[in-house]
Order: sequence, then structure tokens, then C-alpha cells
Amino acid sequence: MEEEEEEAQALLAGGPDQARGGAPAAPGALSALCDPSRLAHRLLVLLLMCLLGFGSYFCYDNPAALQTQIQRDMKANTTKFMLLYAWYSWPNVVLCFLGGFLIDRVFGIRWGTIIFICFVCIGQVVFALGGIFNAFWLMELGRFVFGIGGESLAVAQNTYAVSWFKGKELNLVFGLQLSMARIGSTVNMNLMGWLYSQIESSLGSAGPTTLGVTLLIGGVTCILSLISALALAYLDQRAEKILHKEQGKTGEVIKLTDIKDFSLPLWLIFIICVCYYVVVFPFIGLGKVFFTEKFGFSSQAASAINSVVYVISAPMSPLFGLLVDKTGKNIIWVLCAVATALVSHMMLAFTMWNPWIAMCLLGLSYSLLACALWPMVAFLVPEHQLGTAYGFMQSIQNLGLAIISIIAGLILDTRGYLFLEVFFIGCVSLALLSVVLLYLVNHAQGGNLNYSTKQREEMKLSHTE
Amino acid sequence: MCTCREARWGWGPCATSPMLLLSLLLSTAPSGLQGEETRKVSLDVPDWLGSPQNLLHIQAVGTNSTLHYVWSTLGTPAVVLVATNTSHSVLSINWTRLLSPEPDGALMVLPKDSIQFSSALIFTRLLEFDSTSDAAAKPPGKPYPPYSLAEFSWNNITDSLHLDALSATFQGHPKDDPRGAFANGSLAFRVQAFAGSGRPAQPPRLLHTADTCQLEVALVGALPRGNRSLFGIEVATLQQDLGCPMIQEQHSIDDEYAPAVFQLDQLLWGSLPSGFAQWRPVAFSQEQAGRASSLSCQASPLHPTWAHSLPQSSVVQAFFGPQQNYCTFSLTFGTSTGPGYWDQHYLSWSMLLGVGPPPVDALSPLILVIMAVALGTPGLMLLGGGMVLLLRRKRSSEYQSIN
Repeated sequence: MEEEEEEAQALLAGGPDQARGGAPAAPGALSALCDPSRLAHRLLVLLLMCLLGFGSYFCYDNPAALQTQIQRDMKANTTKFMLLYAWYSWPNVVLCFLGGFLIDRVFGIRWGTIIFICFVCIGQVVFALGGIFNAFWLMELGRFVFGIGGESLAVAQNTYAVSWFKGKELNLVFGLQLSMARIGSTVNMNLMGWLYSQIESSLGSAGPTTLGVTLLIGGVTCILSLISALALAYLDQRAEKILHKEQGKTGEVIKLTDIKDFSLPLWLIFIICVCYYVVVFPFIGLGKVFFTEKFGFSSQAASAINSVVYVISAPMSPLFGLLVDKTGKNIIWVLCAVATALVSHMMLAFTMWNPWIAMCLLGLSYSLLACALWPMVAFLVPEHQLGTAYGFMQSIQNLGLAIISIIAGLILDTRGYLFLEVFFIGCVSLALLSVVLLYLVNHAQGGNLNYSTKQREEMKLSHTE
Repeated sequence: MCTCREARWGWGPCATSPMLLLSLLLSTAPSGLQGEETRKVSLDVPDWLGSPQNLLHIQAVGTNSTLHYVWSTLGTPAVVLVATNTSHSVLSINWTRLLSPEPDGALMVLPKDSIQFSSALIFTRLLEFDSTSDAAAKPPGKPYPPYSLAEFSWNNITDSLHLDALSATFQGHPKDDPRGAFANGSLAFRVQAFAGSGRPAQPPRLLHTADTCQLEVALVGALPRGNRSLFGIEVATLQQDLGCPMIQEQHSIDDEYAPAVFQLDQLLWGSLPSGFAQWRPVAFSQEQAGRASSLSCQASPLHPTWAHSLPQSSVVQAFFGPQQNYCTFSLTFGTSTGPGYWDQHYLSWSMLLGVGPPPVDALSPLILVIMAVALGTPGLMLLGGGMVLLLRRKRSSEYQSIN
């Protein structure tokens, strides 16, 4: 024990010599940065955590940012193009259940994170090589490998956040991480097209090689994330020694047999989740060409508007989170979000109005839904089944995204954007139907989903009494 | 050039007021231009002295009108379209004069006073541009010397005449081809007539009626002069009283039949309803036309052109006489960033040619049904659910009051 204390002291001071000599001010600031119990150190960790997710979110939407280039250079129709998104989702149908288990039981959080991010890096490199070698199947393989790392990395990121910030600034940290993810997507949307044209002019021509090199350079962000994963692993280990804190765990227990206990409202929430997210992500994946062809936007303007959903959700997610926390009434908020998405897609489909209006609405709707829908699961499911419920929800969300991505590409190739939008409207209205049903079922069963915060507190009090 | 950027259900003329005007005009339009549901369409290649000439006469007979389309490659390829207000009008050809250097008056539609509208389209040159020459030249790039279509030799049209399918193809290559560019290639004009309205299976799937003809221009197998050659075609038409006709660009929300193409271009002769040429600004670089092989198609505005600077068409001269003023415009296909003709040495583009008001697209029934179900079900559910809840609340409050 004493030895450990000494080691901790040594680690903190950065060496016994340094602790004794030198100007007093500088080591003071430095030690605050190095002391895991201090806020300054936690902020450093927070920065690393944010960087951790940046690479994977940056690269996730690479195909959307380069849709025209990919389809042209790889001679791919939209159906094939959308397979790039589908291949990302397929592994996650299973991995949503396994991610927590792998982190807790097999790798541990540090190695888990490093391994997942290695998958992301390798995936992105293979994706880029597919371009360089002009082999579309290699690109698909790259996206598959990328997908294996991508979602599990998010789980690892959350686990780190809980382990470092639980009982302190946890909600803020979650919010910031999400914002950082959105910033990654936004930067990608607006940067990759420009990067492609730069490489095109330096290589002298457009083509698969240009595409591959562009993607490879985009992959640098993943290396950045890998470095922060390594740094984070080191700091986490160091903190463990100094603070005697345990290695972070997701604490998720997945029992697939729990699924049979899921109630009707929970299934309705799953349907809402699938039907809603499929009209956001696959649409963004196909959006750029839509904005250039239908609304006559330039390539840059189309990229900008295609990323507006992410831009809005970066600052709005925390705000809406606060709003839903203060007011409760989750179902009503979900209803608002779904109805707004419906209006937004109707505008995109049937009007020539400036699509900024519709996309901003979609951004608001998306932020609101995330804050109102996901917490509802916690009201419905006992705590020991929460891991299974969330895992299942993510899993079918990914399943939905994979299938709908393919269908969306197919529809676009044969029937065009108007029909695709009508298809999306159909999906949102299915979500709307499910929200209405959820409201009715919840009302009929006397459920607690639509309580206001005040009612919830009263319930809690009456329980404790 | 007229550009309309309004939201609207399906295709339509520029704004609501022209739409109204159009319907007013329609009711007062001469019967030759009123349009008919179905017509009895016949294709005929009249022969002279036992040998068929490259002249295709499409006659579309309705209940009280007849449309004549005369396609020919005598001189440069061209079509003369004539609308008459009787079902008995006939085409008369004076062959000796038509094949002479001065064919004026060799082509007539009788009776003459039954003619309500006539015009012509003349395809004068095949253009080629070097799209790689960037800075110096504006897009589409530095032009190569064009191929004059009057200098082409054309196949015997009877070989490709399908009387049942109502189609025929003029296929040609330059008479003088020192580079051998067309050794394995050809330029083809495929003409298709219709007895009723419908939509072909191949993109761009333009809606046609019995009053229209479709022309597909296909360049296949010709060797381009540069790595990234863009092709184009120069088209001439007759000048109207008020100058050159205009090309209207209509924007629409509907791209169901031509995925990702939200525009329809129209050339209108004079005030509606007269005659029109209509096309989607899209061409295809593969025989399997689809979104992956689609090229953009740019149309230049029409500008007046001297007759003597253009290759002449015998049928146009024969019908309209020599003293005509022409307007030309050019269509170019693709951009330097590809896809392009260079992919498969294939290029095809379609246009619809007709008399009367241009066909107007509407939202397909399938879309309307899906929308009705998608919006109706949650709406009804909300309504029904709300009523049930209200009734329940009422009942429970009654119950409480008794209690």
C-alpha cells in the first residue's frame, strides 16, 4: 500500500527532482493538469474522449460527402452506393448486444477502445484502398470492418465518460461528446468535396485513384482518434494507480430471454425508433445529389445544407435534453418531433421552397426525438433489463438502417427522388401512427410515460413514503 | 430563355395565368390543334419509279384532324410537321422536282386551306468538343470541325421500317471519312409514332400522346477525336413572325419517370397551342439507360442564322420555299467530369415532337395512393383515439359526480 502511495506521488510530480526545484507557479499548473482528481485533468481527459469519437464520425459520412464522385469513379448506381451504408450497419445488428460484453469481460475498457478504433482505422484504409485499386467489393469490405469498430467505439466512449465523470459533470460530458460527433460529421460534409478537388488538380485527373487518396487522407482523423485512445488508456491506467479507481465497466447485462418480457409500449418505441431514424440517415446519405439536382445548389452549398441536421443537433441536443428533463411529457415531445419530420419531408417532396427551412426543421426534430425517445425505455424496463432493451433497440435500428439503405438506393435508381421522399413520408407516418398508439396504450394502461416531471416526482415521493 | 422555378404538381406551363390562358385557347383552338385521344397512324415510305427514297411519311388520322410528319434525309435530316383540320388531307409529292436542286413546291399537303399549323426541325451538324482544353475555352470546350449531316450517306429506310411498331430508323455515316472515325460507328435517328397516349419503358420515359412523335438520336461506335470528347447536335428551325422561338425550362417536383431529373425543356413555336418539341435535359452513355449512365444535356438559346450558312434539307425547302429565315440552337451532352461518350462510345438522347399543347405530367396514382394512406391513417387514428379518450373522460367524470 505504501509503495503504491509513493508511486502515485512520483507519477503526480513527474519525478522527484522536478517536484523540488523550478519555479513554483509552473509546476502548480502542471500538477493540476496531471492530478486525476483535479478538474483540469478531467478536462484534458474530456478533450481526448471527444477526439476519440471524432475520427469515426468524420469517416462514417464520407460516402455522403463524396456521393457523386464515388458513383462516377466507381461506376456505381445508387443501389450499390447505398450498400456502403448497409455494410456499416450489418455488423452492428449483432455487435450492439456484444459491445458491452466485450468491454466488460474480454478486453477491458482500455484495450477494448484501442481494438475498436483499430477496426475503424483498418476499415477506413481498406475502404480507401478499394478506391485506389478500383475494386468496389474492397470498399464494401472496408465499410464492414469500419462498422465493426464504429458503434462499439461509441459504447466504449460512453463507458469512459461514466467512469471518469459519474456524479460530476456526466450529462454535460455526454452532451459534449454528442456535439463533437456532430461536428465531425459536419466537417466531413464540407471538407471532403473540397479535398477531392484539390487532389484531383494535383493528380491531374479525377478517377478511382483520386477517390482512394482522398479517403486515405480522410483516414488521418482516425489515426488522431487512435492516438487519443492510446493516451486515454495511459491516463486511465495511471488514474487507476493513483486514485485506486476501478477500470470502467458498461455494467450491461444482456439476456436475450428478456426480450419475451418486453411490453407493447416498448415494442412501439422500437418501431418509432426504426421508422424515424431511417428517414434521417439514409436521406442524408442520398441528400447531396437531391439538393444539386432538384434545387440547383452548387456542390458546396449542397454539402452545407446536407450537414445542417448535424449542425443543429450539436447545440440543440443539450438544450432539448434540459427541456424534456424539466417538463416530462415525453410522448408529446416525441409526437412533436415525428410530426415535424413529417412536415419537413413533405416540404422536401412537394414544394420547391428553399430546402434550408425543411432541413432546419428536420435538424430540430432529430435533436428533440433523441432527447425524448431514448429515456422512455428507462421508464418502461426494470433496471436489470435496461442493457438488453437498449442493445435490442440499437440492434433493430441498425437492421432497419441496413435494409432501408438498400431499398432507398433501389427506389432512387428506378423511381427517382419524389418517390423516395414519398416512401420516407410513409415511414414517418408509420412512426406517427406508433406514437399515437403509444399514447393511447399508455393512457389505457395508466402508464407513466407521459407524466410531467412534477407527477414523476410525486410518484417517487409516494413510493418512498 | 424562360425559366420557371415554381412549385407545382406535375408539369405545367410557366405559371397559373398561362395555364388559364391555355385552357381558354384550347377551347377556341382550331380542330387540327385540339388533340385527340387516339389516331389511326400509318407509316409510309413512298417510292419513285419503283425505288424507295429516304422519305418517311407518318400520317395520324383523327376524327376531324390529320397530322402529317415528313421525315427525310434528302439533304440534311429534317422533319416537316403539318396539322390539318380535316381527316381527309393528303400529302402530295412531285418527285422530279423534289430530287432536283430547286425543290420548291415539291411537297404539298392538300387541301391547302385545311392547314392549321406547320413547322420544321432540321438537324444540321454533329458537333464535337475537346472538354480537356480548360482555361482558354468556355464549356463545353474547344470545338473540333463539325460533321455536316448533309454530307452523310444514309441507309435505306425500308430495311428498318416496322409498320406494327410504328417506327423507323435513319442510320448514317459520313460519305467522306478519311480518319475512319465511323468505320464501326453510326449516327442514327430513330423515329417512333404513337396511336395513343402512354410512356415508353426506357428512360427518359417522356409522356406521349397520339399527337406526338418521338425521336431518339443515337451515336454509337464512332471514334472520338479526343480523350474526353463531348458531342452535341446543332438543330435549326424556321423563324416565326416574332423572331426565334424560345426554349422554356420547366422545373418540377416530379422525377418519378426520369430519376433525379427535375427539369423539362420545351421549344414552343409561337403562342400555344401550336407545335412543340419537348425533352428532358438528360442523355445516356449506355444502351442500358439508367441513372448511372445519365449525362446532362445543355441547350443553347436560339439565335437567327442565315439560310446559306446552313446545310439545306430538301423537304423543308420543298414545303416552305427557299426564302426562309432560320433559327438554330445546339444541344451538348455531358460534362468533362463524366460520365461521357468515352465510357462505352455510346450516346442516346430523346425528344418528343408534336402538335397542340405539350403533354403534361401528373403525379402517378401510386404516389397519390401512398400519400393518402400515409397521411390518412395516423390522422384517422388521432381522431378516433381522441374521441374515445374524450368519451371515457366524460363517462368517468359522470361516475365521479355520482360517487
